Amino acid sequence: MQAELEADFTLDLRGESCPYPVIYTLEALEGMNKGELLQVITDCPGSFRNVPEEALAHGYTFAQDPVKNGQEYLFYIYA
Amino acid sequence: MKSILQPIFTRYWNPYVVLLIAGILSALYFTLTSTVWAVTGEFTRLGGDLLLLFGVDISGWQYFDMVHLQGTTWNRPDGWIVWGMFAGALIMVLLSNSFKIRLPKQKRRYVQGLIGGIIAGFGARLALGCNLAAFFTGVPQFSFHSWIFIIATGIGTFFGSKLTKTRWWKGKPSLTRGSGKPTQGKNRIIQPYIGGTIAVLYIGLITYFFATGQKFLGLGALFGLAFGILIERGQICFTSAFRDLFLVGRSIMAKAIIIGMAVSSILTIIVISLYDVTPITQIAALSTFVGGVLFGLGIVMASGCETGMMYRLMEGQLLFLPVFAGNIIGATFLAYAWDHLGVYTVLVKSGAKINLIDSIGPIGAITVTLVMLAGLYALTVYGEKRYHRKLAVKKGMNVHAS
Repeated sequence: MQAELEADFTLDLRGESCPYPVIYTLEALEGMNKGELLQVITDCPGSFRNVPEEALAHGYTFAQDPVKNGQEYLFYIYA
Repeated sequence: MKSILQPIFTRYWNPYVVLLIAGILSALYFTLTSTVWAVTGEFTRLGGDLLLLFGVDISGWQYFDMVHLQGTTWNRPDGWIVWGMFAGALIMVLLSNSFKIRLPKQKRRYVQGLIGGIIAGFGARLALGCNLAAFFTGVPQFSFHSWIFIIATGIGTFFGSKLTKTRWWKGKPSLTRGSGKPTQGKNRIIQPYIGGTIAVLYIGLITYFFATGQKFLGLGALFGLAFGILIERGQICFTSAFRDLFLVGRSIMAKAIIIGMAVSSILTIIVISLYDVTPITQIAALSTFVGGVLFGLGIVMASGCETGMMYRLMEGQLLFLPVFAGNIIGATFLAYAWDHLGVYTVLVKSGAKINLIDSIGPIGAITVTLVMLAGLYALTVYGEKRYHRKLAVKKGMNVHAS
């Protein structure tokens, strides 16, 4: 696993099904200051694809590649 | 060998490829059996089976006659489509080691799932088909009811998306300061072995059906398996096709579904012309519209339709247990309401079975179908562009404000 980044906020979405992971992630990013780092922990397989793709489509950038951790994914996104 | 298999089981497949294959397979299934890939008809029959189990006399219910409630789910090809889909999805989930019991933290989801499931089950059967028979496999049968259904589903989904965005509906997520702790992984991987075992047993069952001359059960079980594998690996979500366009301007699923339907339509018209098979036509009536709107609303409320909920449940997302139950309750209630509460007289009786091939000939039918699909595709692209234009304006304003 890559070196852990120190995130400013963590969005724990384990257990939530689509579309809520995408909605929550975009809303959290919108509410943060530019440059702050959000860590997203999610285990809904649909979100493995739509969360990173929509974060990028909405103009946010990734601090590092998504980390696969067993049945969940970790995303590190800059607001 | 491992390097070839790895991407197949660990990565999700491109939805365009998956829906293209699904479109081809559903045309092939129609060629072989003269029936289409569908699920909610069987859900209604399951509801009938349950009523019989509890000693309810359903002999006079017209709807059960119409959907041919006979035998048990184990000797109906449509039944094996459903169980095959569950099996195919479960096998892929286990082979990719991605099964996990997932419980929503927002307890309201269970209630939303049950209510949404009931509305979607009721709506689908009122319209005589869900996103399959009245959509993905309905359009390629040139049954006009699927055109009405698509528009109505779009409208229902729009209102569902509005509801999803309200604060009391979506709830507040757990957003905390600092870094969170991911789940500690287990080193022992046993899921693929269980998946492999189930796959071997299931293939044995299909072989048994064919060996004992039960061809249609075998085909149902085989195609069900294939459809289950496809929807799980492609994470095919019909609910998201419209919804995500309204919610976050996401269009990939809608585009992939439209392309899949176009290919399936072309193949089906060739089959119909060559072999003179009769396409499956359902009644187009007010009920199709009302059912479509309810279906669209219900699937967004429940976070999944009758197809999507199948593989989600196999992934261990327990939210979809109440959705599945709701689907069956809704479908069964519609079967009751059909003649007992006058649904047929008010909403269906005035309708007619309209097939485009009969109305305007095979060339006309395929032409207008492809034009309609191209129009839908254009609308999807427009919706996506419009969303992102609005977003850019909003972001621009934020920059000026700060």
